[in-house]
Amino acid sequence: MPTAESKESAGQLLDELYLDMFHLIEEHTKCRINIERTNASGAILLARTKYQQGGSTISTAQIPTENSGEFNALCRVVSRTRDVDPKTSMEISIERHMVDKENGYVEPLHWFSVLPPMSLRGAVLKFKDCIELVVESTNLQRELNTVLRSIGKLRQYVARQ
Amino acid sequence: MLKSTIIDTRIRLRPSKKLLDLLDAQKEHFKELPDNVAQLLKSNGYVVPLGVQIIKANEKQYKRPTIDVVLLEKLTADVIDDPLIAKSDSEATEEDETPEEDQDQRQQPKGPTSFLYLSDLHWLNTFMSELRSKNICNVFLYQIIESSELILPENELKPRNPELEARCQRLREEQQNREYHKMTKNVDAGLKHYPEDTIAYQMKSINKQIIAVAQFIFSVAAGFVFGFLGINLIVGGLPFGFRLLLGVICALVIALAEMYFLAKKLHEYDEVLDAPKRKKPEPPTTSKGQRAKQHAE
Repeated sequence: MPTAESKESAGQLLDELYLDMFHLIEEHTKCRINIERTNASGAILLARTKYQQGGSTISTAQIPTENSGEFNALCRVVSRTRDVDPKTSMEISIERHMVDKENGYVEPLHWFSVLPPMSLRGAVLKFKDCIELVVESTNLQRELNTVLRSIGKLRQYVARQ
Repeated sequence: MLKSTIIDTRIRLRPSKKLLDLLDAQKEHFKELPDNVAQLLKSNGYVVPLGVQIIKANEKQYKRPTIDVVLLEKLTADVIDDPLIAKSDSEATEEDETPEEDQDQRQQPKGPTSFLYLSDLHWLNTFMSELRSKNICNVFLYQIIESSELILPENELKPRNPELEARCQRLREEQQNREYHKMTKNVDAGLKHYPEDTIAYQMKSINKQIIAVAQFIFSVAAGFVFGFLGINLIVGGLPFGFRLLLGVICALVIALAEMYFLAKKLHEYDEVLDAPKRKKPEPPTTSKGQRAKQHAE
């Protein structure tokens, strides 16, 4: 039953949703820029390691192949459901495991050298940050999709009255 | 053309004529005005009333509005989430608005101040809700921004640095020239006078290797002589077989040590041979002519 009050509140809600959408777009853009920057600086550090140590020191030949021994993943993507409202916001997050050789959690850095140079360590940190940012960006994008869907619904509701 | 990083992450909204007219109509209710909106109004030929407090855009920090999810679900409970309906709906509105928008765009001056930013939209929202609460006009924010154009942050396209381009071009040409020379060395008589082909050059490079090998042979021989004769001179009266054995042992020890250095030196020499030879940069006019001639030949 459409009343003036519900129309007013629906309008206000729609305004807020639009503002939220703008905020989310800006945050998403910022997040994407951060991913770009972090990834670029990681790549530069990796290139520096190769330049200092020679081209053959860090190569794909050192990565384990199918025939190598099995090991567990140090980093997993898990979906986490927020307590507040489980329906609308399905978020994902990163779960990291400590290096534990006996249980199969190996340190990937040691494939390349026993004493990795500082620049290679820096590159690893940068790429780890990058994964976190990708997760953040995904969450923002999901939120944005939710907001867009509710805007569509609410517009239909308003148009009907 | 390369895509560069986005510098300005703000979203922009190009205001429509409708929005500006509405702002103009309600201008006596302004209490405060963001400076961006004030400039926007001025640049579009509207008059900003005196006595309005102008606030700087970055003075206030706006947070994301909290959405009343319960109310949202209650209102949209009976709306079917059908993308087809939504699509046709939006298409219909778009069709309605396109001619109007085109007109607006022609009227808009293209300047840095002709956009609304997020803080301005926040201000607009509070302003509109004030107007609604005072029952002055019953217009919502979404109704007035519907006709405006939203401009998303985009990557700027940037041409490559001409210096880098020139450098790449030069390196590519050098590489191609080198390959060409290698290919045509046997065919072209004009190119026979390259340093690699003269006897002096080859002798020089062989000399280095010969010296290294001769050093090796001399030191091994000296070690043998020391074991064979020197120890006999010091101690005296050793049997011939033992002297021979001593000589061989001394020579072997020295040969092992020397082998290491020889291998290192020869390896270095190989690397020098593999490395591309760089020509000294020539003045551009002559080099161009020369290059062209070389290819022509």
